[in-house]
Amino acid sequence: MKKFFTILICKMLRAVGKLVGKGSSLPGKIALKLCPDILSRVELPEYIIAVTGSNGKTSTVEMIAHILTENGKTVSWNKEGSNQIEGVTTLVLGSSTLGGKVRSDILLIESDERFARYTFKYIKPTHYVITNLYRDQLTRNGHPDWVFDALKDSIYPETKLILNADDPLVSLFGYERDNVIWFGADKLSTDTKELVSVYNDGAYCPHCKAPMKYSTHHYNHIGHYECTSCGYKRHDTQYTVTSVDLDEGLAVIDGKYRISLALKSLYNIYNILAAYTVASIVGIDGQKIAEDMSDYVMKNGRVITFEIGSRQGTMLTSKHENSISYDQSIRLAAADKNGCDVMFIVDAVSRKYFTSDVSWLWDIDFEMLQNDNVHEIILSGKYSNDLAVRFSYTDIPPEKIKIIEDIPEAYNYLGSDRKEYIYVITCFSDKGKFLSLL
Amino acid sequence: MKILHLYHDLMNLYGDYANVLAMQRILVNSGIEADIDRLSVSDNAVLTDYDFIYIGSGTERNQKLVLEDLRKYKDQLKDCIDSGKVILMTGNSFEMLGKSITDSSGKKYNGLGLFVFETTEQNKTRITSDVIFKTELSDKKLVGFINKCSSITKTDTPLFAVKMGIGNSENDKSEGVRKNNFFGTHMTGPILIKNPYFLEYIASLVAGADKKLNTDYLEYEKAGYEVTLSELKKRMENEK
Repeated sequence: MKKFFTILICKMLRAVGKLVGKGSSLPGKIALKLCPDILSRVELPEYIIAVTGSNGKTSTVEMIAHILTENGKTVSWNKEGSNQIEGVTTLVLGSSTLGGKVRSDILLIESDERFARYTFKYIKPTHYVITNLYRDQLTRNGHPDWVFDALKDSIYPETKLILNADDPLVSLFGYERDNVIWFGADKLSTDTKELVSVYNDGAYCPHCKAPMKYSTHHYNHIGHYECTSCGYKRHDTQYTVTSVDLDEGLAVIDGKYRISLALKSLYNIYNILAAYTVASIVGIDGQKIAEDMSDYVMKNGRVITFEIGSRQGTMLTSKHENSISYDQSIRLAAADKNGCDVMFIVDAVSRKYFTSDVSWLWDIDFEMLQNDNVHEIILSGKYSNDLAVRFSYTDIPPEKIKIIEDIPEAYNYLGSDRKEYIYVITCFSDKGKFLSLL
Repeated sequence: MKILHLYHDLMNLYGDYANVLAMQRILVNSGIEADIDRLSVSDNAVLTDYDFIYIGSGTERNQKLVLEDLRKYKDQLKDCIDSGKVILMTGNSFEMLGKSITDSSGKKYNGLGLFVFETTEQNKTRITSDVIFKTELSDKKLVGFINKCSSITKTDTPLFAVKMGIGNSENDKSEGVRKNNFFGTHMTGPILIKNPYFLEYIASLVAGADKKLNTDYLEYEKAGYEVTLSELKKRMENEK
C-alpha cells in the first residue's frame, strides 16, 4: 500500500511540476522520504543501462535513447539530466505502473559520478558505461582519483562494464575483471605522437605508478598507453572507431559502418561509439545504428548556430572547470580553415554552486588558437581579466585579443563589420547571457 | 636566478604550474634572468643551487609516491629552510614536511619531520572552499581555493588567518605553516597569479630587498584579484 501511494504521489508531483516548469528531482526526493527503499520494491526491466563519466554522459544517453527508440524499443531515461538519486527515483517511479513495474524495455540512467554509489545500491545496472575520467569540476570533485574511488563503490560484480579502453584510469575498473566490454579507437589520422595538452594525466600508470608510454594520443591523455613496469596497457577493443576524417566529417566504426558527423569532433565520435556499443549489445544491427547516428543533431542544445547581422556563428557549449571540454571546443574552432573569430565568456563559474576559482583556465590549452585560422579572440564576462592574464602566458599576439568584460558590449562588437565565422565557447551557466541577446 | 619546480608532473593538479611562470615573469620583467628547472622522482637536485623552490598539489596517491622520493632531500630541505631560502608549497605538498600523514585506511606514513604538525586524511567528503586569508606579510588579503581531504593538527606557526573559508582543521582559524621564508598553504592552483600582491612580496624575497621590481605589467592580474575579492566578500555578506 505504501508502495502504491508513494508511486502515486511521485507521479502526481511530477505532473504538477511539469505544468509549472519545475525540475525533476523534487518528486523523487519526496518519494524517498515517504519510502526510503522504494527503488528496491520496483520491478525492473531486463536491461538497466547506466552511463557515467566526466564528459559526454548526457549526449551518450540521448544518442542511446534515440537509436533504441528508432528501432522499436521503449526506453525510460532521464531526459532532463537530473542525474542524482532523487532525479533517478522520479524517472523510475514515473515510468512504473502503480503496482510498481517499470513499463519500458530498457531503463537508461545517466548518473552523476559521485552519487552513483547511492543510486545503484538499489538499482543495480545490468550494463554500466563509463565514458572517461577527466579533471572535471575539481572544486566539487576533488580530482580524478577521488572520483575513481567513489565510482568503484557503485560497481557490482554481476554488472557488465562497458569501458573506454583509451582512458587509462577508466580502464582500471576492468583490471582483472572478466565481464567487461571494451570500446575505443584505433590509431587515427588525427592522432599525435606527442601529447597535446597543458598537463599530462597519463604520465604515470594508474595501477602501479611507474611511468607510462604512449604509442599514440587521440587527444590529451586518451590514446594507446602501456606501463613501462607492470605491463598494464590499453585493452583490445570489441567496438572500435577504425578511421576518421574530421575535415569531411566522417567516422568509420568496425571498418564498415560509416557515420556522417553533425559535429566534427573526436569527443562526439566517442559519444557515438559508446552509444553504438550499447545499441549493438541490445541487439540492434550495426548498419541501422550508423544510419540513425548519421548527421544526428543533439537535442540537448549544446551546439547552437546563430546569426548576428550578416555574420554566422556556432556556440559550442563547454564546461567551465573542465579543461578537456574546452580543449575539444578550441580544437574544433582552430581547425576551421575558412578563418574564424573565437569568443570566450566566463561570467559565472558554476551554475549551481558559487565559486570564484579560475585555476582551471590554466589547464586549458589555449595555445592551440595560435594559428592562421583564428583571426581575433574576444574575452568577455566577469572573469575576463583572468582570461586576459591566462592568454598573456600564451604565444598568441596581444593584438589578436580583445577584452570586453560586458557581455552585451562584446555582443555588439561581434555585430560590427567583420566577416569571419564566430565560435562562442562558454558554459551552460553563461550561455543564456549571450543567447538572450540574439 | 634559478627556479626549481619539483615534482612538476606528479604534483600539478589545479594549474599549479603557473606559479613558477608567475615568478619567472616578474623577475624577467625586472631585468633579472630566471630559468626554470622541472624535475621529478628519480631526478637528483641540489636544492642550494636554486633561488626559489616550488611544489604543487597532487592526488593523495601521488603525494605518497612523492613523499618516498622527497626523503632524500630531508637534510637539504632543513638547511634551506633554516638558512631562509624562499620555498613555496601549495595544496597537500607541504603536508609531507610534517611529522606524519595518516591515510583514510588508517595507514600512517612518516613525514620528513621538519615541522611538528600531523596530517590525517579521510575519504568521505572532499573539503573544498573559496577562501580569503589575511597575512601580516602584505596589507592585501589573499584569495583562492582550498581542495583537500585532510586536516592538520598541532601547527604552531601558521601562515594565514582565515577570514572566509576553512583553515588547517575544523574550527581552526589559522591556515598553512610558515618558517623563515618557507611558505606552506593548502590553497590550490596558481596562487601567485591570482594574488599579484603576494607575488610581489615573495618575489622581493627572491630578488633581494635592494632590487626594485617591475610590477607595472600586473594590471589585469590586479583587476582580476579585485573582482574575486569583491565576489567573495559579497558571498560572505549573503551568508551572514
